[in-house]
Amino acid sequence: MTAAIDSDALLELVWAAPLAALTVTIAWGLVVFGSTRAAGARRQGRTASAVVHLGVAAFGAALFTGAVVFGLIIMTAKG
Amino acid sequence: MDSDIIILVIVVATALAFDFTNGFHDAANAVATSISTRALAPKTAVTLSAILNFAGAFISLEVAATIAGGIVDAGLISTTVIFAGLIGAIFWNVLTWYYGLPSSSSHALIGGVVGAAFAAAGAEAVFGSGLLEKVIVPALVAPIVAFSAAGACILVTYQLVGGLRPGAVNGGYRLGQIASASLLSLSHGTNDAQKTMGVITLALVSHGSLQGTNPAPPMWVIVSAATAIALGTYSGGWRIIRTMGTRIYKMDPAQGFAAQGGGAAVLLTASHLGFPLSTTHSITGAVLGAGAAKRLSAVRWGLAGNIVVAWILTLPAAAIVGALTYGVSRVFGASALGPILISLSLLALTAVMFAKRLRRGPAITTAPVDA
Repeated sequence: MTAAIDSDALLELVWAAPLAALTVTIAWGLVVFGSTRAAGARRQGRTASAVVHLGVAAFGAALFTGAVVFGLIIMTAKG
Repeated sequence: MDSDIIILVIVVATALAFDFTNGFHDAANAVATSISTRALAPKTAVTLSAILNFAGAFISLEVAATIAGGIVDAGLISTTVIFAGLIGAIFWNVLTWYYGLPSSSSHALIGGVVGAAFAAAGAEAVFGSGLLEKVIVPALVAPIVAFSAAGACILVTYQLVGGLRPGAVNGGYRLGQIASASLLSLSHGTNDAQKTMGVITLALVSHGSLQGTNPAPPMWVIVSAATAIALGTYSGGWRIIRTMGTRIYKMDPAQGFAAQGGGAAVLLTASHLGFPLSTTHSITGAVLGAGAAKRLSAVRWGLAGNIVVAWILTLPAAAIVGALTYGVSRVFGASALGPILISLSLLALTAVMFAKRLRRGPAITTAPVDA
């Protein structure tokens, strides 16, 4: 009965799924963190800090978009 | 009209009814946390989810050509077994909606078919290893992995944005929730609408209306399955949405995003690894994880316990109803009278339960979030 279970896939799932979840969370967290900090810096006239934090937000947005696109590819490719 | 055609029409209608309850029941997975944190208004959330479920039904390239494949002997799948399995699944979906408990529609369908196959051909018709691999192990793994992942996600989130202005942070996570709800809805359409297409296609093959071992579903099957799941989602089973969104604990937008985004990442990773998990088990596990990681005592563990009991009962309860339905159908022989009477009885039972719920409060998604 146990032979039916794909233990390799199961083990991979146990570490890969939380890693994927954390990647998505950190990516969006960087968007929120960067954009909030950038807005604050802009209000205080700290242009350099605003630009750096906007860069952080853009990096997070790119990572998040990549994760969403990968999700869409999984949906369309599954069989 | 001969009884074979009448039974086929009843099976197709029952499959579409199951598809409707699937959307109605599972709408909560995609929209509950967004509604609870006010990322989306209730009606907007279910409308968006319904549209994406409809679109998702057309996206996936592969239709599940078997139901309970690898779990029951495929040679035993007749229109009567399919009908009985669907009745078992619909019964369980309606019952769990009545009590406001999220449970897996896919497991209910498998349970119904297992029960009907058991009644048709005995224990040798059911493969224990398939049941273990495709139902029991994923049912144990999904909530645990999603719980841990969402718990880790919310702790990381609070580290990252904990010191920032709450207004801006909440606004940012509400926006993120719209993206994760959309992804989950699309994913649900690609998965669950395909199952109904597979059921109807199998019934058409079993009847002889479609030829071949693995034929593509006709366009009317695709469109009707997509429409049924979208209409079910649009109706949005409010009681389950309320349970997942507000009754387990009162969540903030970051928790909503951790539960929904983390849960979606777990689901899609599992799908990518060829280890598909139940959306309901994953998202509910993630909701609990995001709540427990912030404050253990904030979670209503009694309610969580009820949900777990419903998960444990899903397979046997749907199987018992599936087996009984098969038995009653066979009493009438090859006549269509049995399926007609059973369908009318289930319809009447559903109407009574719906009316009882309506007297106590909203049954579908029309209400404000704190209703």
